[in-house]
Amino acid sequence: MGIRFQEVSFHYPQNQLTYYQAIANITLDIESKNEFICLVGRTGSGKSTLAQHMNALLLPTSGTLEIFGTKITAKRDKKTNYNSLRKHVGLVFQFPEYQLFEETVEKDIMFGPLNFHTGIDEAKEIARETLKLVGLDESYLNRNPFNLSGGEKKRVAIAGILAFDPDILVLDEPTSGLDPRGKTQMMELFKEIQDKTGKSIIIITHDMDLVYEHASRVVVLYDGELIYDESPKALFKREGLEKYHLQYPSPIRVLKDLKERFDLDLDIYQRNLSDAVTALKRAVK
Amino acid sequence: MSYIEIKDLSFSYTKKRQILKNIGINIEKGEWIAILGHNGSGKSTLAKTIVGLLEPGAGSITVDGIKLDQDTLQSVRRKIGIVFQNPDNQFVGVTVRDDIAFGMENLCVPKAEMLERIEYFATKVGMEKFLDKEPASLSGGQKQRVAIAGILAMQTEIMIFDEATSMLDPYARGDLMEHIKKLHNEGLTIIMITHEIEEALLADRLVIMKDGAIFADGPKEELLKKPDLFQGSALELPFSLRLANQLTGAGFEEVRGYLWESAFRK
Amino acid sequence: MRNIVIGQYLPGSGFFYKMDPRTKIMGVIIMMVAIFLLETIVQLAIALAIGIVLMILGRLSIIRIARGMRPLFVLLIFTFFFQILFNREGELYLQESMTVSLSSIGGIILLTIIWRLLARFKRFRFFLLLAYLVGIFFAFSLLTYGYTFTTFTFSIYERGVEMSVFVVIRLLVIITLSTILTLTTKPTDLTQGLESLLRPLKIIGIRSEDFALIISISLRYIPTILDEANKIMAAQASRGADFQQGKLKDKIRQIISLLVPMFIIAFKRSEDLADAMETRNFVPGMKRTRIHELAFNMTDAFASLFILCSLAASIVLRVL
Repeated sequence: MGIRFQEVSFHYPQNQLTYYQAIANITLDIESKNEFICLVGRTGSGKSTLAQHMNALLLPTSGTLEIFGTKITAKRDKKTNYNSLRKHVGLVFQFPEYQLFEETVEKDIMFGPLNFHTGIDEAKEIARETLKLVGLDESYLNRNPFNLSGGEKKRVAIAGILAFDPDILVLDEPTSGLDPRGKTQMMELFKEIQDKTGKSIIIITHDMDLVYEHASRVVVLYDGELIYDESPKALFKREGLEKYHLQYPSPIRVLKDLKERFDLDLDIYQRNLSDAVTALKRAVK
Repeated sequence: MSYIEIKDLSFSYTKKRQILKNIGINIEKGEWIAILGHNGSGKSTLAKTIVGLLEPGAGSITVDGIKLDQDTLQSVRRKIGIVFQNPDNQFVGVTVRDDIAFGMENLCVPKAEMLERIEYFATKVGMEKFLDKEPASLSGGQKQRVAIAGILAMQTEIMIFDEATSMLDPYARGDLMEHIKKLHNEGLTIIMITHEIEEALLADRLVIMKDGAIFADGPKEELLKKPDLFQGSALELPFSLRLANQLTGAGFEEVRGYLWESAFRK
Repeated sequence: MRNIVIGQYLPGSGFFYKMDPRTKIMGVIIMMVAIFLLETIVQLAIALAIGIVLMILGRLSIIRIARGMRPLFVLLIFTFFFQILFNREGELYLQESMTVSLSSIGGIILLTIIWRLLARFKRFRFFLLLAYLVGIFFAFSLLTYGYTFTTFTFSIYERGVEMSVFVVIRLLVIITLSTILTLTTKPTDLTQGLESLLRPLKIIGIRSEDFALIISISLRYIPTILDEANKIMAAQASRGADFQQGKLKDKIRQIISLLVPMFIIAFKRSEDLADAMETRNFVPGMKRTRIHELAFNMTDAFASLFILCSLAASIVLRVL
């Protein structure tokens, strides 16, 4: 179960108007439980195209894609209910402005469940619960989503997806535009959601510090091809990631610099500040 | 008298909530300052008041001896250019050439001179090969560089970057910062509005805003030494300085010193 | 990302491209008047021939122009049949009695089904439509079996045939003229040409500069807004909005879920854009210089001469 890409490619015939980057020969397996995957790659590497295959917004040009047991092929199949697949895989777009439209937060969160034929009373109850899950209290239910701060809007948008209880949650650059505290809180939120619900979470991001600290698996795209699919630890031990426009996380960069400057016997692959401090103290003493 | 003087500036949309509270900043010619603040601290509102898009409730702004008001608005805007956050929402022209020309057209620059300046400033930001391209075929970073060229072509002396890198990926961000460094070296006064400490550290001086007021203002080396500067705020020191601050006690002086020094290395 | 071209503009280098948009706009208008002055098929055929020669000289692909006209074929066919059916002057060419009977209606239903089934061969759309219409004619005239509801006479007269050919050629020439204009003129140049030509409207208080700026900004933002609409649709589809199915009530809500974000983002965009324009010293109504200045050159002079001669020629033909 989960999502299975087998040699999936996507491209438009030439000269046709398209906003999507092509992807080629993607083979990838995503479990339906407890994954924490970061999808990285420079702008235009095909991350969003790949993400939009995960809930069948885009159909592969070639290859097989399987979403929770349903085979998706290039031809739109009348028997396949694409909509019901989207209930399994929730996709949160980068800008909450793309989806917020109701006059209250409550109604906006209810939009998804109602589309998936949940009753009104139940949907109301769900809205209350999911709002709590994304860290906003009940006073937000009757507020206008357009008067919220950027971070709050993002949370409401995420609640709008969580409301129909997808097994896999895909988020496109959820921390962009947030200040450092906003970023940390957002990442904590995802951890918490995963702890409470066991959902698989996939995040598209450019922030390698977040990848290194939080992800259990990184998928790297470059020019539409999947070049690495491994743990962050293994990825950042590789040399020469710069040629794929990937930065090394700050702990590795800073510790590497120190190691070379002071000729220390230091393990530079530390995932956070406190580990880095401990390792450094040990090395200097 | 300073080049830019902001005195007792206040601003509010409604009576209830004051967005800017008694802001006072003096900026010298050729300086590079970073205005650092959390989301909603009022830093972008400040930028909009400086360029006369919002009218302050109280206080004054003086640029190069000219006090900003309705009569002097256009002459102040000739001196200050601003690059906004969203690359797509500030591209006026149908092509790169047209967009760079837009400001000059408003200043009634003759056509021959416009063409010359377009060539020169497009080359300066590395966009000379894209003059006939439409915005849909440009990346966010390229659009921001076109915006810079358009402002430079108006022979502006001060440039404000209002979170101009926040919608770019790290690579484009670094590239844009390199261009800003170059501009500063050529004598442009730069005001950089951001919540990214790494970007702020490229400036000479930091102004930290919190809830609409100035929380701290001074040379970056001095400010960042205060241990509780970012305590309880949404901002954060860069990793190297957080690491240095954790290395208390004897035996770490050398490492600490090196980390400090490298954090300020441009 | 690929360049998104708005309108039909196709980059090229023939003399049509070198002309001032004002000459082209005025030229198309004057030529249309001249075409309407012509009275016989022969005159029109000569005009069409001259047009084709000019297109060849101007290195325009006739195939490309024909392709651009494809959406208008339906209009041409309609005009053609309208003239043939309802013009009842001159000598009678053909008279056929038509029967609306059970069998003819059955035949037409059968034809319609076959036609719709073949509709996916888009390339032969035009011929299929023709074949379908001819089929209907024969169904009415030959299938007389079964209960007869009513009968009528289908007749074609000399004048009807003449007029239908005449009108179709005239339409063809006019469409070709405007296609040449849009194919060889960038949308920006087109707006600038219009701006320049509409300048006299200042007398009645309409500022053509504002109008031109609005159009050029709209042109610039069309691809951006399309891209955005696409993303909003995807975002709402991700929340289970199904734009194809569902009850009317659900459909309305789903359309609102598209329109509200589009409007809100567009408002924000226009506010930002106004800020950016204002800080670059834009003041509505103030004098500005222009990077694109329209220039009248030798090609324009020749073209104008040619256009005026054509007009004179058609006036002479009309009067004689």
